[in-house]
Amino acid sequence: MKDVVREIVSIVADVAGLDEEEVTLDARLVDDLDIDSVKAIEIAVAVEKRFGVRVKDEDLPNLTTVGDIINLTETLVRELEDEKVGV
Amino acid sequence: MRRSGYEYDVVVVGAGIGGLVCGTYLAKQGMKVLVLEQHFKPGGYCTSFRRGPFHFDAAAHSFGSYREDGNMRYVMRELGLEGKCNIKKYDPCDRIILPDGEVSFYAEVDRTVDEICTLFPDEHTGIKALFGFLINSKPVESAALRRVTLLELFNRYFVNKKVETLFALPVLGNGALPPSLISAFTGTKILREFILDGGYYPDGSMQHLPDTLIRHLKQYGGEVSFRSLVRRIMVKDGKVWGVRLDSKDVITTRYVVWNADVRQLFLHVLPRKWLKRETVERVKSLKPSLSTFILYLGIGEPPPALPEPGTNIWFLPYYDLERAYRYACSGEINRVEGFMVRISPDKKTILAFVNAPYKTPAYWRQNKERLMNDFIDRIDRNVIPGLKNHILHKEAATPFTLYRYTLNHRGAAYGWASTPSQLFTPEVRQRGPVDGLYLTGHWTAQTQGIPGVAYMGLDTARMILKRENRKL
Repeated sequence: MKDVVREIVSIVADVAGLDEEEVTLDARLVDDLDIDSVKAIEIAVAVEKRFGVRVKDEDLPNLTTVGDIINLTETLVRELEDEKVGV
Repeated sequence: MRRSGYEYDVVVVGAGIGGLVCGTYLAKQGMKVLVLEQHFKPGGYCTSFRRGPFHFDAAAHSFGSYREDGNMRYVMRELGLEGKCNIKKYDPCDRIILPDGEVSFYAEVDRTVDEICTLFPDEHTGIKALFGFLINSKPVESAALRRVTLLELFNRYFVNKKVETLFALPVLGNGALPPSLISAFTGTKILREFILDGGYYPDGSMQHLPDTLIRHLKQYGGEVSFRSLVRRIMVKDGKVWGVRLDSKDVITTRYVVWNADVRQLFLHVLPRKWLKRETVERVKSLKPSLSTFILYLGIGEPPPALPEPGTNIWFLPYYDLERAYRYACSGEINRVEGFMVRISPDKKTILAFVNAPYKTPAYWRQNKERLMNDFIDRIDRNVIPGLKNHILHKEAATPFTLYRYTLNHRGAAYGWASTPSQLFTPEVRQRGPVDGLYLTGHWTAQTQGIPGVAYMGLDTARMILKRENRKL
């Protein structure tokens, strides 16, 4: 899941217009990174595209830090893999 | 802040509102800014022109989101321009005329709700619920609208299709898509920002907005150069270092803000070696919004039944917006029959428009006169009786005219078509594919209208400032 961390940091940095080094796992999306609602959707769409998962709309308001996005993405990726192997 | 070896800190390409807001804000923060514009005056679609005694707004004819906490007000305040431009709100800002009657959108929302409920009493619960959503929903709630169309959203509120048409007609005009295709995210934004909080107009003409921005840009040491078309963005080691103009002149800069057609940028202006093939393919596959056919009339002694000036009047003689859209796409704009018409605040001119496809320059050359006269007939018959006898000047802008003045792909009026599948396209977000290149304006993935591009221009400027602060 190391890949997920790197990819999420890269997506958030891209959308926020920051360098990847500035996107720490405990950075708060709104307070530290100026992620507004439009940028939050941009991140969700980019995550869906990159990992082939589907982010539920009701999950978006619960994401407050970069770490939250990583945790959610890891869960979604795991669910997807489970589906593939027919668990 | 200027670094040695570069002529400018920032070159902004395109003097539309997004580029001017971005450039002015960066100049205000001390950066050395040059705005390049291929046309001979600033504003993009927010511009005006003169014919004898008549002053016409070319495309944008009012704007929204200027309430106390609206985005446009916020941008003007951040630039220190609140109060520098005399901005008046016309009330009602919009009036919708349908076969069963008409409804106005007033500053006083309850009055509007009452009018709509009187026309469609069976739908009053849904009407009130939709207004409640538009006015009270939190920004993040719009996230839930990113996958659905406006029609799917309306179906949660209404049974009667006629009510849907009432709300969707100005959305078709301002977004160039019918409810079955436009994303609910964009559709509700148009209703909230352009209709419920619309009707603002800078004293005199729309040109005052870009002119005021240019004046302040220059006060902060910024420069602007017209008739300057950028042909190439110069990149070395993955980083922007300059732009090359049509004249072959090269201007060196550390940042480039691209506030123009993104298709041109990715297909012609940015060297291909810095682009991923998927990015180019994706940009090629994106669909632009429709263009518009705009009629300009100069009137002498006003006809007796002249509607109130400053109000956008929308007319449709039937309820089927899908049909109206199909005709608009085919270029049979005389069959759409619907249109928007607006009397200028000085009561001397009239602007009217319909959505239209790009077609070919030859098509518009051959049909312009006929369509113009047909359009005048329809306005005379349906909204302003006697208009025909009061016209002193008439002319029209076709989609090709829009293309010629802005170089927007196929004369697109609103950037990319705002369908759910094209919303938030990662390839066209603000941070460009090479270091130092930023995109802004209506060709980025999720914005349109003057308030939209103004807000994004400011946001892009702040991204650049954040980057600057890191380097220092």
